[in-house]
Amino acid sequence: MDPALLIPVPDAIPVPWGWFQALLLLTFFCHILLMNMMLGTAWIALASHFSKGGGTVVSEDLGGKLPFIIAFTVNLGVAPLLFAQLLYGQFVYTSSILMAAFWLAVIPLLTCAYALAYLYKYRFERLGRARLVVIGLVTLLLLAIGFIYTNNFTLMQQPQNWARYFDRPDGFLLNLNDPTLWPRYLHFMLSAPAIGGLALALYHRWRASRGAKDAEAQIRRGCRWFTHATLLNVLVGLWFVAVLPKGVLTLSTTTGLWLTVILVGGIVLTIPALVYGFACRPLPATVCTLTVLALMVGARSLLRTAMLAPWFSPADLPVQPAWSPLVIFLVFFVAGLALIAWMLRFTARATSSGEAQS
Amino acid sequence: MNYPVWQLDVFGGGFFVILIAVFHVYIAHFAVGGGLLLVLAERKGLRENNPAILDHVRRLARFFLLVTMVLGSTTGVGIWFIIALLNPAATSILIHTFVFAWGAEWVFFLLEIVSLFLYAYTFGRMAAGRHQLLGWIYFGAAWMSLFIINGIIDFMLTPGTWPQDGNFWSAFFNPTFWPSLFFRTFFALIIAGLFGLVTAAWIREEQLRTKMMRFCSLWLLAPLAFFIASAWWYKAALPVEVQEMIFQRMPEMRSIVSGFLFCAPVILFGGLLLVLRLPPALAKTLAVSLLIVGQLYMGLFEFIREGGRRPYIIRDVMYSTSIRVEDEQRLQQQGILRSARWVRHREITEANQMAAGRELYNLLCLSCHAIGGPMRDIRPLTAGFTAEGLDAMISGMDIFYPAMPPFAGTPAERATLAQYIARDLNGRTDASEPLALTEKMVEVPVFDPKTDPFVLLAWSERGMQLVDDPGAPLSLFPEGTTLRAQLIRRDETPAVVTTGVSLYYRVEGGPAAAGQQPLAGIFAPAGDSFVATGIAVSPYPQQGGFDPYPVMAIEARDTNNQVIATTKLVVPVSTELGCRTCHGGDWRMDGRAGLADETANNILAVHDRLSKTDLQQRVNDGPVRCHDCHTGPGSAPGDPARLTLSAAIHGFHANYLRGRGAEGCALCHPSSPNGATRGARDIHTSVGLDCTSCHGTVEDHSLSLLKKEQQAGKARASVLMAHLRPQTVESVEQVVARSPWVNQPDCLNCHEDFQPPETDATFNQWTTDSASLFHNRTDDSGRLFCAACHGSPHALYPAVNPYGSHLDALQPLQYQTNRLPIGANRNCALCHTIEMEDEMHHPNMLRDFRNE
Repeated sequence: MDPALLIPVPDAIPVPWGWFQALLLLTFFCHILLMNMMLGTAWIALASHFSKGGGTVVSEDLGGKLPFIIAFTVNLGVAPLLFAQLLYGQFVYTSSILMAAFWLAVIPLLTCAYALAYLYKYRFERLGRARLVVIGLVTLLLLAIGFIYTNNFTLMQQPQNWARYFDRPDGFLLNLNDPTLWPRYLHFMLSAPAIGGLALALYHRWRASRGAKDAEAQIRRGCRWFTHATLLNVLVGLWFVAVLPKGVLTLSTTTGLWLTVILVGGIVLTIPALVYGFACRPLPATVCTLTVLALMVGARSLLRTAMLAPWFSPADLPVQPAWSPLVIFLVFFVAGLALIAWMLRFTARATSSGEAQS
Repeated sequence: MNYPVWQLDVFGGGFFVILIAVFHVYIAHFAVGGGLLLVLAERKGLRENNPAILDHVRRLARFFLLVTMVLGSTTGVGIWFIIALLNPAATSILIHTFVFAWGAEWVFFLLEIVSLFLYAYTFGRMAAGRHQLLGWIYFGAAWMSLFIINGIIDFMLTPGTWPQDGNFWSAFFNPTFWPSLFFRTFFALIIAGLFGLVTAAWIREEQLRTKMMRFCSLWLLAPLAFFIASAWWYKAALPVEVQEMIFQRMPEMRSIVSGFLFCAPVILFGGLLLVLRLPPALAKTLAVSLLIVGQLYMGLFEFIREGGRRPYIIRDVMYSTSIRVEDEQRLQQQGILRSARWVRHREITEANQMAAGRELYNLLCLSCHAIGGPMRDIRPLTAGFTAEGLDAMISGMDIFYPAMPPFAGTPAERATLAQYIARDLNGRTDASEPLALTEKMVEVPVFDPKTDPFVLLAWSERGMQLVDDPGAPLSLFPEGTTLRAQLIRRDETPAVVTTGVSLYYRVEGGPAAAGQQPLAGIFAPAGDSFVATGIAVSPYPQQGGFDPYPVMAIEARDTNNQVIATTKLVVPVSTELGCRTCHGGDWRMDGRAGLADETANNILAVHDRLSKTDLQQRVNDGPVRCHDCHTGPGSAPGDPARLTLSAAIHGFHANYLRGRGAEGCALCHPSSPNGATRGARDIHTSVGLDCTSCHGTVEDHSLSLLKKEQQAGKARASVLMAHLRPQTVESVEQVVARSPWVNQPDCLNCHEDFQPPETDATFNQWTTDSASLFHNRTDDSGRLFCAACHGSPHALYPAVNPYGSHLDALQPLQYQTNRLPIGANRNCALCHTIEMEDEMHHPNMLRDFRNE
């Protein structure tokens, strides 16, 4: 069956596609950063249970922040999924249906992870040894959600794999035949402990700057997580690149050229990030890492463009102009961010410690 | 059409949407009202300088945070996930139309998270005013979320002018936006009170518990009047057709609406009770019960709203099947399978019929009807239908079941879908092959043309007749059979004998039923003929089985009681009434005929549901007689305000039989060529004509009846006519209205001046009165009835009876050893004893029979 016949006809978009592309990249960057911190925090909290002394303090401290991060990760996941549906709705709705049972399972898995994170936070003392099980489950559930996402967002860009639906229409398909699936998944999941470690180091650097005495060990711990996970991830990244379909990494197309340039840029920038990491300098390491992350978000988008090129380009989408809702959204967006900044500021000032503890 | 279908089967019909939405909607409203409750409860604590209240509010805030964040936000995303999985086309419209509204809603969601975290974790750690400000910001953001979602949800119910202008603002601020916003806002306050009551009921300290219970009870009581007023406003803002849909046309909605109305006084009463100082256990029980009632209240409301939207997912834009209204006609012509993207079988063949049917089911049914699951399970809903019945049902389902969309495929696809549901899902094995009939031998009476002085001719007024089943809960045909006979004295100038003789009838083959006397009786003189009416001939002979053509022996006796002439005829009586095609049940007798109790009871239930009657109750007092209300043939007049039986039954069912020919008639009448009666057996059938040739199609036939009723001012006729289009003439205006059993097709329409016909169809030209009906009409002499020589209608000589070719020609065989009309082929000598030269009975009679 010709895959092109299976691709649904998209609806018209209200403003030119570039707006949605920009909003998608911006919000996805925020989401993926939060996701990395969320999963990284869970990883490290779990791993702390196996370090000397059971990692009680560290685990409690980190685990206590988890519900917070989950809340923002979920929220910041909504926006890119929304904008992705504008640009690629006909692909992502389809792939979601093909693996519907797994895709819908994200909701109960997430709810359980969220509830367990709160349990870990509020019942840490009472849980005793069960803590390990709880944080282990949280990590496992988040890893499972990541796996489902990787399946969906690889399947959506491979219409040539869609005809399997006719033999399995009950929503239990995955994209396991795709050679990029596992390296892609591992690449995302391994960046989590790296960025989680970096966040840990950065947080304690900030505490140290405010006079905390016990911060150094945590900074070292965070940087260690960052460097080790990143080194491993470089290998996984190379595996990912090696199994990319032929013709994607090419200098003969604009998309391929940009993808190559951005990937090389990202890999090169990883070197100073690692150097700062080994030197326990979280701030410059963070600057490098965020840049790498931004480049990788761009690379991910270009990879999708390249994969979908035989079938579709967002530039093909029909436009039925409606600008006023965009203006209203931007007003709400800016005003909302300003209000958040104001709330954070007056709350920080008003509370005695200067921070709203979780 | 555009997307693959998640083939859920058991969990089809939107099960997961309901599962997720029920909780989300409740929690989402709590998330709005609860914000205000928190901040006002905090203010109360501050005003009263009561640290216990403040402490309770702090704990309430944590509880609120947990519930709304963990359950509220994930189930909210869950609804988005599930609607995109189950109805991606509609979701795509909502996402593309409202993308920036969703975007703004996301900003408010972010604001909610930040402000709620700050509020919940800074109790007592910052100035009271600033802390309350955080609460107010939270409430404002949550209410704005409601503001936006409300616009989108109500767009689905009342899209306003959007389908025409495509304008975002007309879609968002649609006709029900404002009433719904107020309605939901007050609902949110009540729900906050319900949740608040549950948390307050668990306070250990009695004084504080009472204080907080009273505070939360106020949240139920204070907004209730505004809530009810806004509900009324909401109802009034609905388009008339939506109101009709919810409150009149969907019988299954009645209990839902009643339940919804019932919840308000329960909450009012519960709220009043909780103002009192109650024992802790009772307070807890009552608070939890009210919380459950609140969930029910919300669920019922959402069910009503969704019900009012049916059969659309976005009213007037897209059906629940994801088919755009604008595509409907194109799909009906091109076909679903050729138009949909995600189907494997583009053409229907005998080999792939079930697989193609499954694909049609996925595309057209599964979104609302589970297979073996809790959501509108298709199996029990269709179990009573044969494939042909289901095909008919689907073709007209949108007319009497307004929640159903019109079928969007071709007739072949409809038949395939029906076959799939009946055979594959319901495991039905209804026979499609002709029933095997056992040949019946009847001895032809002897007639000696040299010596016999009389010719006795007898006929049944109806050649195809349905009769009641003794003992069935339903009586449609109470009148029995009417026989007529004429006795002719043979002579050069024959005489129609009307005096000095008596005519008797007797059913051959023993009594009609065990313990009864053989059915017999005497004819009454009626002018030139003799007539016997109300004869309860049954198709169930004593020896068992089904015989739709019992033989009647007729005798003429003189004043000395000597038999002077005999003859025989078959009396067509059938109970092969095809109700079970759609109304379930099996045949009552031998798997081939008869109205089973189950079938009849289903008819009564459907009548009760659609016409708001109580026939299921009345059947306890004996069989329900249709003609008590709907005037039928040969019965006492029913209610003159109601449709006649013929108009009511044909008019209703024609809506399911549109576009069909004689096979549509045979779904109900005993005329199926595969059935146990095969009542259309006369010469016209042999030359290729069928029911529609004389009576018109089912639409034509029904419209002519309904139009008469409409002219008599019966409103119901117009309802039944609304979807019927005449097939033979251009418009309804051209259809000639007629009364049943009086205005019938006239033989002379085609056989002008008794000549061979120049057309093979007649519709719209009716006999003017009862006297001009074929069975009442006489020849040019005015003495001899047409039927005396030609036989009964639908069995005109040379008729071929399916149980034996001689059965419907017993008299021609007796008198002239052929199966032709009496006197055909210039056999005038039969009565006249000599050859005749004048065509005295009717023109064109002295010639060879054309269709021998």
